[in-house]
Amino acid sequence: MYDNEIDRSKEITILELLDRVLNKGVIITGDVVISVADVDLVYLGLKLMLSSVETMEQLKSGQSIAGKNKQVNQAMQ
Amino acid sequence: MTGNLIYVYCIAEALPRETGRFEARGVKFVVSGGFTVIVKLVSEDGFSEANFRQNVSDIQWLEKNAREHIEVILMVMEQGAVIPFKFGTIYQTEASLKQFVADYSASLAENFLNIRGKEEWSVKIYCDRKALNEKIDELSAEAAAMEVQIRASSPGKAFLLGRKKNELIENEIDRLCKRYGHEYFVEFKNLSESTKISNLIPKEFTGREDTMILNATFLVDKSRVAGFCSVADALRSKGRNTGISVEATGPWPPFSFISIKEKQ
Repeated sequence: MYDNEIDRSKEITILELLDRVLNKGVIITGDVVISVADVDLVYLGLKLMLSSVETMEQLKSGQSIAGKNKQVNQAMQ
Repeated sequence: MTGNLIYVYCIAEALPRETGRFEARGVKFVVSGGFTVIVKLVSEDGFSEANFRQNVSDIQWLEKNAREHIEVILMVMEQGAVIPFKFGTIYQTEASLKQFVADYSASLAENFLNIRGKEEWSVKIYCDRKALNEKIDELSAEAAAMEVQIRASSPGKAFLLGRKKNELIENEIDRLCKRYGHEYFVEFKNLSESTKISNLIPKEFTGREDTMILNATFLVDKSRVAGFCSVADALRSKGRNTGISVEATGPWPPFSFISIKEKQ
């Protein structure tokens, strides 16, 4: 048996997560009534990552948003 | 919370066993044309087109739902091959979802043939440019030659050459990063059925000090996964001395290796 690295790590980092689910996968147009294929999620994802980095900076500099951003903060470590 | 929109996670070849685990999360199965579509009913609040656009700009909403997306797909994947959907794919009716499966059934079957028995692995390689800089005279013959020249020069000339050397070092580091990225890529490629190279993610988004030099995804036959992981471990140890850091993660749903084409 090999090591399953996704299971081994406590949490998938938000970077890996968004890099996969936002950029890839089956993208259907036409059949789907609502499709996000036309939302620029690559850009959006990166923008969001940036905002979570900012959150982290805020936390570091003491403007704690207690608990609320903990998960994001941990994921970015 | 349930609703009237059908959110699609993925498609499997068979109905998963132990459906209770899935039902506990509100996950449902739509069996159609020999495939099982893994879905959940979601509300307009979260997933109507307008609300969705609004919601994805909330990082916490996005992270929670993106995690849920991947977790459900990974649960299905424990039992067999899956075709993962992009996060946020919604059908309005079961009839239109079934119509999709019917229209694309040949393509779905072909995709399952390609991914069955294989795993997607992601490799991200980072390079610490400072570490390379410190060892540049060992790593670059040109930089070493210039260093010899500097030492043999008068202070004034040495100063000018020093500035020139700094430029050279930047170029040499770029060249080395490219070379290492390629060398490491080939090691993994040799153990893979298929590869995809993605855009490098800039530092401000990775939140790391070092620079990403390779962002690649590999489709690996299950029989070769152990070998693939050993290569990752070996390269990780080897890289430690040169400021290269190797991050291999998997198995992921085969997000990068599916291609769905409409029936002609």
